[in-house]
Amino acid sequence: MVNYSKIWLIIKREYKTRVQTKSFLLSTLLTPLLILGFMGFIIFMTLSDNEAPKQVVVIDETGRMFKPLTQLDATRYQPISANQTIDQIRELVMEDELDGYVLFERTFLSEGTPASFIHNGSGGITFFESLQSDVRDVTRQIRLKDNDVSEAVIAIFEERPAVENRRLNEEGVDEQSNAFLSSIGGILIGVFIFIGLFGYGAVLMRSVIEEKTSRIVEIITSSVKPIELMLGKLLGVCLVALTQFSLWIATYAGVSILAAPVAQFFINQRMGDVQNTLIANDSSGTAATAPADIDLSFLEQFSIDPVFILYFFVFFVLGFLMYSSIFAAIGAAVDSEQDSQQFMTPVMLPILLGYMLNFRIAEAPDSTFAIVASLFPLTSPINMVTRMLVSYVSFWEVALSIVLLILSLIGMLLLAARIYRTGILMYGKKPTFKELFKWLKQA
Amino acid sequence: MSLIIDVNNVSKHFGKATAVNKVSFEVEKGQIFGLLGPNGAGKTTTIRMINHILNPDTGSISILGEPVNPQSQEQIGYLPEERGLYKKMKVFDQLMYLAQLKGLSYTDAKRAIDFWLDRFEANTWKKKEISELSKGMSQKIQFIATVAHDPEIYIFDEPFSGLDPINSEMLKQVILEEKKRGKTILFSTHRMEQVEQMCDNICLFNQGNAVLEGSLQSIKQSFGNNTVLLDFIGDSAFLNELEGVRINNRSTNFAEIRLLENSTPQAILEIAMKHAEIQRFEVVQPSLQDIFISTVNDTKIAT
Repeated sequence: MVNYSKIWLIIKREYKTRVQTKSFLLSTLLTPLLILGFMGFIIFMTLSDNEAPKQVVVIDETGRMFKPLTQLDATRYQPISANQTIDQIRELVMEDELDGYVLFERTFLSEGTPASFIHNGSGGITFFESLQSDVRDVTRQIRLKDNDVSEAVIAIFEERPAVENRRLNEEGVDEQSNAFLSSIGGILIGVFIFIGLFGYGAVLMRSVIEEKTSRIVEIITSSVKPIELMLGKLLGVCLVALTQFSLWIATYAGVSILAAPVAQFFINQRMGDVQNTLIANDSSGTAATAPADIDLSFLEQFSIDPVFILYFFVFFVLGFLMYSSIFAAIGAAVDSEQDSQQFMTPVMLPILLGYMLNFRIAEAPDSTFAIVASLFPLTSPINMVTRMLVSYVSFWEVALSIVLLILSLIGMLLLAARIYRTGILMYGKKPTFKELFKWLKQA
Repeated sequence: MSLIIDVNNVSKHFGKATAVNKVSFEVEKGQIFGLLGPNGAGKTTTIRMINHILNPDTGSISILGEPVNPQSQEQIGYLPEERGLYKKMKVFDQLMYLAQLKGLSYTDAKRAIDFWLDRFEANTWKKKEISELSKGMSQKIQFIATVAHDPEIYIFDEPFSGLDPINSEMLKQVILEEKKRGKTILFSTHRMEQVEQMCDNICLFNQGNAVLEGSLQSIKQSFGNNTVLLDFIGDSAFLNELEGVRINNRSTNFAEIRLLENSTPQAILEIAMKHAEIQRFEVVQPSLQDIFISTVNDTKIAT
């Protein structure tokens, strides 16, 4: 019914004219830099747990808290000098000489008056939480001791059993898992598809409008059917998107292979620095403990499963063809980009919905709403891919999602083609929704 | 003479509006056929249907005996009224793309494009983008895009609109040349002098109807020798005294007078001689312009 060799000619033109532009080159090169930046950021965040130790002066009116605290961390908890007043310490904190001070009032242990931690704002929530946990541990120790609890019970309280987080993969091998990272990855991959659907959808729409306003479309349709032109354009732009994604994935794969050795190199350098500061600050004479070896195996989490890439492409292509056929129809119906706004809104809603649901799905990938969103064709291109990355999705669910997507893609394509073929030859007044509906009904 | 385009009782509606109403005409091979009519008369819609861009609601269109289809499209070179090319595409790539869409192979298309670029002395533009060309230059490229696949039929919608006199004359020469090569040309226009100089047959459109169809000569003959051309020196006020006539064209010393009921050339000459010095008095066939205007006006009154 359609002439494939002509569609192929159109695909080639759409592809070539885009891939050869400067903006394609620029966005293809810049995005990996952003990815690099992101990975660097994650590594930095992981490493910054081990940054130069904080110093906190302990003002201990109870007389019992300071010693056990220094036993926990001799560098962090510093004594108040004999002639120092609280005002002087506050001065030091304001000048960033000190990170802060903790005040235990006389009634802290007896009446449970809260301790206060006054600081200069550095260190953030992690620092505060670790300080709080130190204070709680020490308080618990003291209370246990005061009540003559046996050593065995104390040992039970001090126990910190470890839980290893391992995910069982399809081959039956369990591998180390990091739920946090895969959630981030799930959100990111959703953002990627969202931007791809939207960005390339807009590219396609602009191109349809351009062909219409430059009137070349009348020459083209005197050689090919409107549906052939539309299919050629959809597939051509889709190929451009796939090219860009492939280049990015290749860069990403290359970077993630290199990431571990590079990170190791920086860590080694950094460790040297940390050691030096420790020695320099070590006025109390307690032995400085070197930070434990940093576990770099988390970097394996950055590697992507090839099967996942395949699914990513399948869902992107199907989602793109479905949404972009609507974008093509909108482009055909209007004379300028400004006029397209009114029709864009109803199309944007489901994409935005999928984008927003994504954040919840990354947290709760197996909830009912996550399953529904990953099957519903208007949101599945974004949400199923995220779910697959974050959690294990059974094959039948993926297959059902793909079948539903293909069915709605075909339906959408046929409807869009009707608006498209009427719209490309209509100039002047912007059509109303009612008129678009009439175009749909025209045989 | 063989039938090359057969438009048979074709109608096309857009919503409630009737763009083309039961139109029929035939174009024979080797003819230059003119579609005339005011704006909005249905010419462009008819041309789009012949090009298989639009489908008629009722009636049928055949090209070379076959109903219009994707193959018949390849037999047609179409120059739309609103010209357009990809602004950011290079001249050669653009011509190649359009020729290949018309079914040409790369080598055939290259040969044809080189021939036409040479012919229009445009060979140095090959690597330029359309946006870099002047209006006249891009009109030439547009024309090459229409003819490069060497079609049997040329369809030009308002080909002379927007052309400067040089390009206009060149286009006229090319059209006459292609006719000599046995090609069939159908064009729409409202420039009457071009129709009179070039067309064999015409079809006059008004409000979606084909109100007049046939060879230029027979149409003119059917309107009879009923027009007086008068050159004179003197006061032109006497023209207002003439009865039973319509003055189509007048200036200080010229008048084109159409005879209506009961008036004769002699009566006009008598009155004219009393008031002015006559330099020319001629009884001729009406001009196409006159036929056009009176037919359009008649059908307006009729509907």
